Amino acid sequence: MASIKINSLAKTYDNGFQALQCLSLDIDPGSFTVILGPSGAGKSTLLRTINGLETATSGTVCVSNLQVNKQNLKSIREHVAMVFQQFNLVSRLSVMTNVLTGRLAKRHSLLSLLYLFPKEDYAIALKALERVGLEEKVWHRADKLSGGQQQRVGIARALAQEPLAIIADEPVASLDPRSSKEVLTLLRDICREMNITVVASLHQVDFAREYADRIIGMNAGRIVFDGPPSAFTSSQEISLYQHETMEVKEDAKMALAYA
Amino acid sequence: MQKWHWPTPNGLPPFHISIVVICSILLLALSASMVEISYNRIVNGWRPMVDFLGHLLVTPDWSYLGQLGAKMLETVEMTVLATAIATIVSVPVGILAAENASPHPFVYRIMREVLSFARALPELVWALVFVSAVGLGPLPGVMALAFVTVGFMAKFIAESIEVVGKGAVEGIQSTGGGRLQTIMFAIMPQALPDFAGTLLYILDHNLRAAAILGLVGAGGIGYDMVISMRMFEYDRIIMIAISIYLIVTLLDRLSDKLRKRIIHGKVNVIR
Ligand SMILES: Nc1ncnc2c1ncn2[C@@H]1O[C@H](COP(=O)(O)OP(=O)(O)OP(=O)(O)O)[C@@H](O)[C@H]1O
Ligand SMILES: [Mg+2]
Repeated sequence: MASIKINSLAKTYDNGFQALQCLSLDIDPGSFTVILGPSGAGKSTLLRTINGLETATSGTVCVSNLQVNKQNLKSIREHVAMVFQQFNLVSRLSVMTNVLTGRLAKRHSLLSLLYLFPKEDYAIALKALERVGLEEKVWHRADKLSGGQQQRVGIARALAQEPLAIIADEPVASLDPRSSKEVLTLLRDICREMNITVVASLHQVDFAREYADRIIGMNAGRIVFDGPPSAFTSSQEISLYQHETMEVKEDAKMALAYA
Repeated sequence: MQKWHWPTPNGLPPFHISIVVICSILLLALSASMVEISYNRIVNGWRPMVDFLGHLLVTPDWSYLGQLGAKMLETVEMTVLATAIATIVSVPVGILAAENASPHPFVYRIMREVLSFARALPELVWALVFVSAVGLGPLPGVMALAFVTVGFMAKFIAESIEVVGKGAVEGIQSTGGGRLQTIMFAIMPQALPDFAGTLLYILDHNLRAAAILGLVGAGGIGYDMVISMRMFEYDRIIMIAISIYLIVTLLDRLSDKLRKRIIHGKVNVIR
């Protein structure tokens, strides 16, 4: 359980593109927050900064009073697990080995480099796999699983970290509706039962309304909506994605002009 | 008439590709005259060639079989030993020489330079250098082979590391895994099929190379080959040629089988 405090966070990429503009946000411990916004709004950039996969240009991110920076990187990552759209598993390794990699931050010894883990870690990994319902697939190769199953391995790896928070960047964007529901239900249950703070970005507004405690709407690197799902009305939805629909219309006009 | 177009905005072939094609054609035309490709010489070359092949139609010198076996074994041993040593050196060196795994861009540059130096000259030349350093025998041969092999293998390994997708690497990094842990858990398993392919290819190449190192006194079957040639001992040459052919073919078949199994994931090298 961890609070996440983001203060005046800005991110400018090397090519000069400003993906986040002075963004501040406090996330309550143990809550389920969903970030919505059109493509390019900066959702991934924001989420990756919390785990230190991107470094902030200015401003601060704190997870339970530990600031994300170069010196703290390892302990931040140890406590803040990531779940990715493309799962980011090691495809040629077994499901078990993939989940065990969640223990690496706690195992600095040379033995970990030889793929040796203590019994305790196997117990933790197995428990995580049982939690996501994959105890049958323990020794299968990760890339032989379906997308939904691979994402559940991704979640099991996160659980094996025994994290304070799980950051999920579009965890269901490559899944069918049923697997999407399974994965989101799993994340919400984990959030409730284990008191793990979850922040997820989504493209499906309906899922956000169904699962979130709180919705953050982002556009062009800024927060443009912040409130409970009940406050996220359909007019809010239209204005959040407005920029994008306008662009699409213009494209359509251009296409007509060319035709 | 139908109008044909290339898939470019103006329907013409891309500029740089056209340039490359035109240049290669010009180059071919020019170089043909420079190396004096003479049809006369090629055609007239048939006679001596047939004569030479005719000499090979002799009864093999069976008394030579024992020495042949010993020398072939030595050649294979040199190949395996040199390749094994080179592999052990090449994996860490390859990691240092991969842009995405090297600890520092400077290390990466230096490693690349060192490797291209090792590759610059063929095994035979290095063998000459090592023969003059440590004397005749298989030792300088193994040294020369291993040296050049590191130059190639580490480069191939570095290149297969560079194409490992960012996904697995970020997955391990996001858990707080350290630099070596990321190399062992994300890069190594993903690059493994490539490594195996490289290893088998190089083994194949090294066997051929080891077979001629004897030319400069660096061990293996090459010495017998050059001596028999000089002495016109066709009854030995034919035996040497056939045994090299057999071993190379055998290795080729074996490595084809192995490569297929590894690439199609039937072999779980790391579980
Ligand atoms: N490594 C990078 N270098 C330069 N620009 C980048 C980089 N990564 C992202 N951007 C830019 O930053 C902006 C925000 O990207 P980001 O991936 O955070 O958006 P997003 O909201 O996650 O979009 P999506 O919904 O498509 O995933 C985009 O305009 C993108 O082009
Ligand atoms: Mg994104």
